[in-house]
Amino acid sequence: MASNSKPATRKAAIVGGNRIPFARSNSTYAQASNQDMLTATIDGLVARFGLQGKQVGEVVAGAVLKHARDFNLTRESVLGSKLDPATPAYDVQQACGTGLEAAILVANKIALGQIESGIAGGVDTTSDAPLAVGDDLRRILISLNSAKTLQDRLKAIAKIRPGMIAPEIPRNAEPRTGLAMGEHAQLTAHEWEIGREEQDELTVRSHQFMAAAYDQGFFDDLVTPFLGLTRDQNLRPDSSAEKLAKLKPVFGRALPEGAEATMTAGNSTPLTDGASAVLLASDEWAEEQGLPVLAHLVDAQTAAVDYVHGGEGLLMAPVYAVPKMLARNGLTLQDFDFYEIHEAFASTVLATMKAWEDPAYCKEKLGLDAPLGSIDRSKLNVHGSSLAAGHPFAATGGRIVASLAKTLHAAGPGKRGLISICAAGGQGVVAILES
Amino acid sequence: MTRTVLDAPPNMAALFAKAALTARGRGGDLPDTHLARTGVTVDPANLAEYARVCRFPLADAVPATYPHMLTFPLQMALMSDRAFPLALPGLVHVRNRIDVVRPVAASETLDLEVWAERFAAHPSGATVDLCASVRAGGDEVWRGRSTYLARGAKAPDGAPESDVTVSVGDLERSVATWRIPDDAGRRYAAVSGDVNPIHLSGLTAKAFGFKRAIAHGMWVKARVLAALANRLPDAFTVDVGFRKPLFLPSTVTLATAQAEGGWDVAVRNQKSGTEHLVGTIRPLS
Repeated sequence: MASNSKPATRKAAIVGGNRIPFARSNSTYAQASNQDMLTATIDGLVARFGLQGKQVGEVVAGAVLKHARDFNLTRESVLGSKLDPATPAYDVQQACGTGLEAAILVANKIALGQIESGIAGGVDTTSDAPLAVGDDLRRILISLNSAKTLQDRLKAIAKIRPGMIAPEIPRNAEPRTGLAMGEHAQLTAHEWEIGREEQDELTVRSHQFMAAAYDQGFFDDLVTPFLGLTRDQNLRPDSSAEKLAKLKPVFGRALPEGAEATMTAGNSTPLTDGASAVLLASDEWAEEQGLPVLAHLVDAQTAAVDYVHGGEGLLMAPVYAVPKMLARNGLTLQDFDFYEIHEAFASTVLATMKAWEDPAYCKEKLGLDAPLGSIDRSKLNVHGSSLAAGHPFAATGGRIVASLAKTLHAAGPGKRGLISICAAGGQGVVAILES
Repeated sequence: MTRTVLDAPPNMAALFAKAALTARGRGGDLPDTHLARTGVTVDPANLAEYARVCRFPLADAVPATYPHMLTFPLQMALMSDRAFPLALPGLVHVRNRIDVVRPVAASETLDLEVWAERFAAHPSGATVDLCASVRAGGDEVWRGRSTYLARGAKAPDGAPESDVTVSVGDLERSVATWRIPDDAGRRYAAVSGDVNPIHLSGLTAKAFGFKRAIAHGMWVKARVLAALANRLPDAFTVDVGFRKPLFLPSTVTLATAQAEGGWDVAVRNQKSGTEHLVGTIRPLS
């Protein structure tokens, strides 16, 4: 018989997290590989929670931009870390949702009793990015490699043209639309009439909140310095609406004639390098180890939208994911003490909230009788988010999970937080944490 | 004892040239000279390049072998000086011991001091130890001792016997196979400044009596430590003997076994089993 009740499981605890400060692309971490950063981040977590030489049930992490040689990135990082080498690991990749998805996967195995503890993480570098040879050259090189005779080899080499030598540099663009993510976001901002001023306001707020959090020591047990960096390099405590207003728009070439481009390098996240990791466990394991439980991962949901032919915005999938998760848990959008909406772009956060307030959209697109309504802005991204910290794609989920868990714990028992992360490919990953 | 403080690292290529030109007619006892540099900082670009060439992860603590990069030019300056009794060309690095007193962060400001001691008699010549001490904030954090053999040289009368033996237990299990390319010497020379011609090419190696170019011992040692990087205590001693030259290119195997809270290690030729390096790693008490 169909039932809405979930099977008997336990809720996975979030014990704590660790990340390295995020660096701007081609800067402090330019020489560091994904494996270097993930290993350092895991080792920081190991040091923080006394896991030297110990096994955890599983380590799950990933990177969005990944070298072919890094097929086993997470396992290799574990082998290079202070964890027991007999700790299993695997890689995941769900674009910018990677870090949160990794945490959900670990939490689900804990919930089912398959593991007692696990580490979820993510890492990305846009500095040490993988370059690929063009597809034509790649095919020739493969045939060259399999050629048996000198004649065959020469034949293959003769097909190489000078124009093929240039490497393919990974681009932050959607393969099916050819548009950069920022171009997609600008289209959505236009559609939802998200103004320049409100985007800049949200950006200033993010910088100021994060700078204050650093000053108050909030990140002392969440961040470990790396290669001389002690704070996120993108963070500008002196950011102001006046300064941001001076920046020129950087997206908008896909906008209709006459439409105003509103997205700048200030109210969009920059390319960033960094890594994060979160320690999850059963309550029993945490107690045995003498470790705290900051919060529990209550539920999670993914969604995807047809941004190619379906007329939906690329980054709108979390808007769909949240109501499904709320319904399953008998909650309303207002039943939360804190909201973490990933700031891929300031306009994305604003469009997401506007969509939830829109009766027609909620009815037609989300199939709801009433709109989800507004959220209390004072509960949103209270320690800053990606606009200030930067956004090393796969590392963002771990940053948010650890920060929110700590925030909920500090607020006392029974507090609830919502995480919403948009991702390339028109996907969204959302989750509920509770202290 | 005379102590000379240098303002900058000496130019290594110039030192090799000077040492070669002044090789003849050397003799006598070791000079009682200490060479020092103070306020030395680590160049992040060189550290990253070193880590890449030796396969260390890039991290906040420098690899155990990295301070040797900083002290080696001072060793060279000491050995190329006319007062040094042994001719630099032909000296063979036969043993190297490093004490990591505590991990050294790349951000620390370091004071370096280098001197020579233990001029000793060896069955096929004489050996000398080039010692190095690295301090941070006044405390010694790292020590190095490189033993060089001069074949055919004679230690002064009454000199002690050389001690170049590093003993390890059974090491039957190879844990890794490394293909060492023929440019391994040039790559390490570029990052370390150790441009001794025996490492650079077959032709330049032949001029010094080797049939092919040979790998730098300190590079092989670094690769061994990189392979064990996360399995080492914070404070340890790594003592290796460099046995037969590792000719380039080669395929070698690494064997490891846990011993006395640390490790015994060996690097051998994959086919012949010729030992290139044997060593012990022990916690520093």
